Amino acid sequence: MKVDKEIDVLHKVCPLPLITLAKEVRTMAKGQVVKISGDDPIFEDSVLDFCREGEHEILENNREGRQVSIVFKI
Amino acid sequence: MQKKGTIMLLSGELDKALTAFIIATGFAALGVEMKMWFMIWGHNCLKKRRGLFSRRRKPDPAREGIYRDLATDNFLQPMVEILNRGGANHLPLSQLNLMGLGPKIFSQMLKKKNIPSLESLIKEADELGVKFNICQICCDALGLSVDDLIVPNVEVKGVSAYMKDTMDAQVNLFI
Repeated sequence: MKVDKEIDVLHKVCPLPLITLAKEVRTMAKGQVVKISGDDPIFEDSVLDFCREGEHEILENNREGRQVSIVFKI
Repeated sequence: MQKKGTIMLLSGELDKALTAFIIATGFAALGVEMKMWFMIWGHNCLKKRRGLFSRRRKPDPAREGIYRDLATDNFLQPMVEILNRGGANHLPLSQLNLMGLGPKIFSQMLKKKNIPSLESLIKEADELGVKFNICQICCDALGLSVDDLIVPNVEVKGVSAYMKDTMDAQVNLFI
């Protein structure tokens, strides 16, 4: 899968992953694919809520230990 | 429908201001149009920290005069200013302040957990497009200038604007 932008928010805590994600998504066009990785305990919930609010389609959701990577389409 | 929210910050304590800005930035990141209002001690977190006896610019009728009645300015305003210098990194805690030691311990605890400082959250809120409004009578009574705040474009407004904003929003918080 072609990912247009990879965002790394490892070691960032709430609400910084969301702020970083929102700022990056604003600079991108509809239809582009974003991959975001983080390890905050509520990172997964935050990004899923972000996608639900913005009506973004989730393409992948992988967890490896504490680290979660989510791929979604804007 | 565009989701909207307002936060009125009345308190000048670090813990309460931090809560207000975490909510504001989080909501704004999730696409909610956020407006923050600052009243009385609430504006302390936005103030540029100055030296105890730093000279202040004389109020300019073309700038401060627009939202303040300069004719009724008095000697009490600069005296209160010395006692209430504010600054995002110099706010007290509402509990366990321990004569100023509490906020230092608290900030250290947040830093160890990578939790952003209040000042950086204020900057993030500004970048996310959170609107800042400050109460007009608060500016007038305390002799404030919006040029002395760390964020640009702070608007000075009254209760009618607050009424419109709050009635228009789904969430209104008073902290």
